[in-house]
Amino acid sequence: MTAPALTAPSYDDVRAVTDEVWTTLLGEAAPLIDRLVPVGTPFDSVGVWSAAVTVSGGWEGSVTVELTTYVAGALTTTMLDLPHDAEVSDADVADAVGELVNMLGGNVKSLMPGPSVLSLPSVAAGRAAFSSDAREVARVEATWDGEPVRVTVHNSTGETHR
Amino acid sequence: MKALIIDDSRAMRSILRRIVTSLDFETDEAGHGQEALERMESGPVPDVCLVDWNMPVMDGYTFITKVRANPDWRNVTLMMVTTESEQQQIVRALAAGAHEYVIKPFTPDAIAEKLEMLGLVGGAA
Amino acid sequence: MTAQDGHPAPDRRGMTTATDTYESVSALVRRETSMIYDAGKEYLVEARLRPLAAAAGCTVDEYVKRLPIDPVERRKAMDALTINETSWFRDHAPYQVFSDVLLPRLLEARAATRHLRIWSAACSSGQEAYSLAMLLDQHLPAGWTHEIVATDVSTAMLERVRNARYSAVEVNRGLPATALVRYFARAGNEWEIVPRLREHVSTRHLNLAAPYDGLGSFDLIMLRNVLIYFDQETKHDILRRMRPMVAPHGYLMLGSSETTLDLPPDLAAQWRREQEGRVQVHRPATGALT
Repeated sequence: MTAPALTAPSYDDVRAVTDEVWTTLLGEAAPLIDRLVPVGTPFDSVGVWSAAVTVSGGWEGSVTVELTTYVAGALTTTMLDLPHDAEVSDADVADAVGELVNMLGGNVKSLMPGPSVLSLPSVAAGRAAFSSDAREVARVEATWDGEPVRVTVHNSTGETHR
Repeated sequence: MKALIIDDSRAMRSILRRIVTSLDFETDEAGHGQEALERMESGPVPDVCLVDWNMPVMDGYTFITKVRANPDWRNVTLMMVTTESEQQQIVRALAAGAHEYVIKPFTPDAIAEKLEMLGLVGGAA
Repeated sequence: MTAQDGHPAPDRRGMTTATDTYESVSALVRRETSMIYDAGKEYLVEARLRPLAAAAGCTVDEYVKRLPIDPVERRKAMDALTINETSWFRDHAPYQVFSDVLLPRLLEARAATRHLRIWSAACSSGQEAYSLAMLLDQHLPAGWTHEIVATDVSTAMLERVRNARYSAVEVNRGLPATALVRYFARAGNEWEIVPRLREHVSTRHLNLAAPYDGLGSFDLIMLRNVLIYFDQETKHDILRRMRPMVAPHGYLMLGSSETTLDLPPDLAAQWRREQEGRVQVHRPATGALT
């Protein structure tokens, strides 16, 4: 394939995908609101969950989401239809955050030339770490209910020819 | 009507269970395709399977090809519910025997409308 | 009631649009579009204005106070408030009746011109117009032409119809997967209707409460789930003026829950109701024009 393929999704598309996934999972009562964050700023560090999926094939890259404990908890209770102040286990939060990044990843994958394969999500309590051969190509910075939310898309820049 | 919900995320299964339960389905659940096949072999055959694509052990595409290969299950309606949304993937799933396809994210209405289109919900005379 | 970490539960924050705010919104909508927002739809006003208020950096109450003096925001608010929940092949049965019953009759009636004209009145984001375009693509015999005119009071909605792009959430709504792969192409994070359907759909800005000049007459008018937004007098006026818009052999389709049974006698006499399975269709009653 020698067509001049798209190498990165646009910010606007990633923002729209994020908004759509977010609104569908969490409802419209509190929207995602954009915020300005200088490039290279680490995700606000208090209590944090992060999750990532990788895409390989026609496009090589990864999609990562970072959330505060509060936002991850609200996502989990909403998806499980529990009261907002319900106790949720780490396993439940990991499951919900994993599904969130799966949806984001699948939709970002569809923005790019395919066919590609989406990995299963990997979820961690803590900030995301990125390998040095990954290049950030889009980053959505937002707040939800006053707390930060970040979605990052990376291109794998290593040799990816199969 | 019985629905088998096949998704590796408990949270997603919970969302789908609430939707189809509200449409008067009985539900069963499986975390991947292999588990779903075992359910179908040992228990009652569902009227419809809601199937995720990307799952551990056995993915939803493989599950669909296995179900379609078994004539005993020819009456089972298969609906993919997945974030997999490349157009050629949808074509592949339909060619393999999926009847319908819902892209995540979806609204509850989307599931209900598709089940209605498939004649599994509502006043089909 | 508070959620964990002392945050208020998000679905409770500010979801109480003050009554006077709500009344001023509903008066404004009515003045601009003749549409009625009944009491009890506060949540809808809230949900639709909240993103606009957030974008403008104020509360919904403050935002509503700005509307009378800010025409740009007022236009945006009207667009947000007048969108209809919409899915492809909405209610399914009317489209089945169109393909199975109405279309064969129209093909007979129009055999001389081999041209069909359809009006999607209050087209919203275009799902109705394009659903019909899909059916005509499948069922219209070779050599026939057709035109679907989509009108709406919202210019933003008409823009959407022309762009013919739909989100994943939207293409999930009632659209068979086979139609998705046949009639759409991926466009960024959206799905775009293929040109061979789009070329049959034209758009026009129209308030249903205003005159229908220059539209011509139609073989089918879809006026579905929109009359409920008008007061009785406007509704009757619309149905009266719709009558000459339907060609003598043509049809008018209302929403599944809408009826012409409660019309004043003179107006009821202008329409003939026909039951096709579970679907009621209306035809102009010949010789009853007053």
